[in-house]
Amino acid sequence: MDGYIIATVIKAILILAVISALAGFGTYIERKILAFIQRRLGPMHVGPFGVLQIAADGIKLFTKEDFIPSGANKIVFMVAPIITAATAFIALAAVPLLPEFTLFGIDVKPIVSDMNIGILFVIAMMGVGLYGPLLAGMAQENKWGIIGSARTAIQFLSYEVVTGLSLLAPIMMVGSLSLIDFNTYQAGGIGHWIVWTQPVAFILFLISGFAETNRTPFDLLENEAEVISGYATEYSGMRWGMFFIGEYANMITIGFLASLIFLGGFNPLWIIPGGLAIILKVAFFFFLMLWVRSAWPHIRPDQLMWLCWKVLMPLAVINILITGLVMMA
Amino acid sequence: MEAIAFYIFAILITGLFLVTAFSRNILYAMSSLAAGMVLISGLFFILGADFLGAVQLVVYSGAIMALYAFGMMFFDATRDVKEKNTSSYLVFLLSGFSAVALVVIFAAPTIGKHIEPIVTAPQGLDNPHAIGAVLFTKYLIPFEVAAVMLLVAMIAGIVLASKKMDESLSEIYLDADPETEKKEQE
Amino acid sequence: MSLDKLKNRNVGVQNYKMLDLGHTPESGWGKFKQVLKRSVKLELFVGLKVTIREMFKALFMGEMHTVKYPFEKLPISPRYRAIHEMKRLLESGHYRCIGCGLCEKICISNCIKMDTRYDEEQRKEVSDYTINFGRCIFCGYCAEVCPELAIVHGGRYETASEQRASYSNFEDMLTPMDELMNQKEYPGFGAPTPVADKNIKKTPLAY
Repeated sequence: MDGYIIATVIKAILILAVISALAGFGTYIERKILAFIQRRLGPMHVGPFGVLQIAADGIKLFTKEDFIPSGANKIVFMVAPIITAATAFIALAAVPLLPEFTLFGIDVKPIVSDMNIGILFVIAMMGVGLYGPLLAGMAQENKWGIIGSARTAIQFLSYEVVTGLSLLAPIMMVGSLSLIDFNTYQAGGIGHWIVWTQPVAFILFLISGFAETNRTPFDLLENEAEVISGYATEYSGMRWGMFFIGEYANMITIGFLASLIFLGGFNPLWIIPGGLAIILKVAFFFFLMLWVRSAWPHIRPDQLMWLCWKVLMPLAVINILITGLVMMA
Repeated sequence: MEAIAFYIFAILITGLFLVTAFSRNILYAMSSLAAGMVLISGLFFILGADFLGAVQLVVYSGAIMALYAFGMMFFDATRDVKEKNTSSYLVFLLSGFSAVALVVIFAAPTIGKHIEPIVTAPQGLDNPHAIGAVLFTKYLIPFEVAAVMLLVAMIAGIVLASKKMDESLSEIYLDADPETEKKEQE
Repeated sequence: MSLDKLKNRNVGVQNYKMLDLGHTPESGWGKFKQVLKRSVKLELFVGLKVTIREMFKALFMGEMHTVKYPFEKLPISPRYRAIHEMKRLLESGHYRCIGCGLCEKICISNCIKMDTRYDEEQRKEVSDYTINFGRCIFCGYCAEVCPELAIVHGGRYETASEQRASYSNFEDMLTPMDELMNQKEYPGFGAPTPVADKNIKKTPLAY
């Protein structure tokens, strides 16, 4: 029992450290890749190829004044960014990050809590994450903030439906909510990946994943052209940084979910060992998010709702229906 | 271990809901209610009801409270609310009575001695499967009735909300025919 | 990059091509068909293809567009009008300025100030010459009017300085003596064109 608690605490701290470092590094990757796509160089001067740019950004964010507007609701304003960052990391608790491995003679399962409802927990935690932007926007007494938080509410609520419904069909096929069961279900190589049997669900999940992580075709929450910075208008310094650590951690979570559920998870691929395979898959999804950001314009709020309720949700329901019929036959 | 966790959760939940009841600020009330809802799911997790815990997270904090919050957008959330009670005795009596009634209803089964569970939890199944087995055997009809009710509510909501759904405001101005506009002006 | 591109002044004669945007479908069926056509034709993915192609071009084919400005500079047109330069006579190394005062006279922002005196050989000598760059609008009249091509515009466009006077002394603008061999004739504003010899006409006095 004691060993279990200690192991869990160590895993939690490790995940917190690694993922928040990766989230910071994600900002560098994003700037670099967007720059390459626009045929620019991106950050170049801090460290070799600008790798230490995140250190410079971190120093800037930490030393900046932590500004709280006089009209704002102080406590809620201060707590809101923590909600975003915390829920993003709590969601990762139920995600198996790597295959099991042996370290110093101890079998290590790289998952903080192997609960049998993993997917549901991750989706629930990402759903709770909407309180960060929501409360932030409402607490700061700023019209852009209020619009940003209203958009948070409609966008996250609507696309949670699509996420849930699109994942229902694969869940029906596997018959379990545990992400490890999903992984073992697809153990037979590329031919067994769920993406071949559920392509519609994969595309729907990807689209709603973009919406839930607030990535570009659906980045209405903090669109500069329309609502200045949306919910983050009045934030500065590390509180602003926490929103972005949360956002990048969510991107990593969505990448892990998509690769675990649809793309074979951490099963070995040809000669690539499982651990490297899943890292490559997550890296691909991360790159895809940046790639899409560089290519596509974002859409209007009414188009967002149109897409969700008139296109994606009916498609998801039809997909579930067809899956059910095929499974019964 | 579980007892410690339970008492921590219980104290936190009670405290948060007290803030909800006594705060004069909408934003405090709403965020403490949402936090309380999240923490209630912790009680489910302690009891081993993982599925219900996650559903509590999704439904109550993810959906219902977010809709409340959406309604709050129409108020100035940073200002205090002045409550207007016409008869505080009536409010006190009604709310006190309903609170006592709720406590009695929920406490009676645990105190009573002649109560046995009709359905025992299926053995050898994990949590979601067990819930599914019970829902689709013993409680199939209530489950279906609840589903039909939800469907009715959904259709009613669509009908109520969709009176002018096909006319987008931007398109009304864009598609306006210049000739008919002239006639209207005349 | 060659300078020919900069000299191309044919602005406004490009061949514009009007795109056929079609019309917005009216009926629901028409809208559905449009959505279907756009989705099945995968028009969205053209955008992705273009961006990834640009990325490969930039990374592997050397088409990166960034100019790391303080370290690299783009060539500027010879007609560019930046901080003035004072030229010297190549033979003697003496400055070309004859102290005629035309530049001072024509300067529309009154920023050129010159004093002249007679030296011991009774030749006119520039004793004091300054340009107030806080007022100069770089119109180029001084270079155009100068009969000796003594004052011209150079290409030094980075004019941030701690003091306005930093560039404006006659000695600062004058070509240094050791650089005299590299002094280039100014081809820009106010200079005779390459076909000037051909265009010259006899004045009535020559008859």
